[in-house]
Amino acid sequence: MNIFFLIIGMGMCALVLLCLYRVTFGPNVLNRAAGLSAVGTKTLIILLLMGVIYDRVEMFVDISMVYALLNFLGTLVLAKYIKQSGEVECQL
Amino acid sequence: MSVINIIAGLFVLAGFFFFFTATLGLLRLPDFYTRLHATGKGDTLAVLYSLIGLAIYHGFNITSAKILFIAVFMFLAQPTATHAISRAAFGCGFLPWKPEEGVEE
Amino acid sequence: MIRESQDVIVKTLARLLVPFIVIYALYVVMHGHHSPGGGFQGGVILAASFVLLAISQGLDKIRQRLSEKTAGILSSLGVLIYAGIGLLCLLLGGKYLDYGKLSKLLPVEPAQARSLGILGVEIGVALAVMAVMCLIVFTIFSFDEDSGGDE
Repeated sequence: MNIFFLIIGMGMCALVLLCLYRVTFGPNVLNRAAGLSAVGTKTLIILLLMGVIYDRVEMFVDISMVYALLNFLGTLVLAKYIKQSGEVECQL
Repeated sequence: MSVINIIAGLFVLAGFFFFFTATLGLLRLPDFYTRLHATGKGDTLAVLYSLIGLAIYHGFNITSAKILFIAVFMFLAQPTATHAISRAAFGCGFLPWKPEEGVEE
Repeated sequence: MIRESQDVIVKTLARLLVPFIVIYALYVVMHGHHSPGGGFQGGVILAASFVLLAISQGLDKIRQRLSEKTAGILSSLGVLIYAGIGLLCLLLGGKYLDYGKLSKLLPVEPAQARSLGILGVEIGVALAVMAVMCLIVFTIFSFDEDSGGDE
């Protein structure tokens, strides 16, 4: 079963690399924010899979909880900042 | 390889499939709103599937309850984050994407 | 200056989530010597609840609850708790932060006194980190408040 979780985790890392394309080359800051949110959710699952593989889930679940909270908060603060400053070029 | 492991594996595999779909949408769709639509819905469903699968795999104890609590939190938080950022984009004056005039079939 | 959010969804969710975030932060602080976490992480999560309140309710309402002056006093109080426990151990005949000597004051065994001393130090660290993080965030959030004040 550990081999299965290892393969899923490696596939998830590949998906994170694909999302990083949108974070790096996104046309503006909003696309980058959407890519960052997607990377955060994938990282949460990768942390839990690491916990299962290392047989220390009770330790990794706390880290993953904090990661979910900070990812949510970061996206919300970024949205608030973009909305109030309005410094986005309006194309695509 | 018991029945519990097979069910948990199927849930995690479904979660991985939806993650793959969401990433494909994030890369390939033409507009900011459509990309956000792909990741917002796909990632929420994929996180729910993966967390439920991991909770089933880990059995019935306090750690499993914490994993389900993360699932409830993500189910509330992820759509709210998507809504907030799309509303910020609409407030900045972004307009939804339309197909160009010449290429309509 | 971060204004109050006009968004019903964000406001409702913030009001719903903040108590659970605070309880989770207290769990991280209290459970810090059995699982990952401790004073610094718990303080950061406590500050995160304040940030969530500030971006949903506006900065003015949060300043009524936790003004800059209170935050400064709280951060100094956290450092005082940390250094005070250390100096208390020094006065009781041990080394700095040698919690086992606290069993002369508390009616418990030295092993339990070590656990309680670590808990006290972590509470101090959490207070200091929470106050300093709130100060930093308030300063960033009020970026256009007094522009051109004393230039």
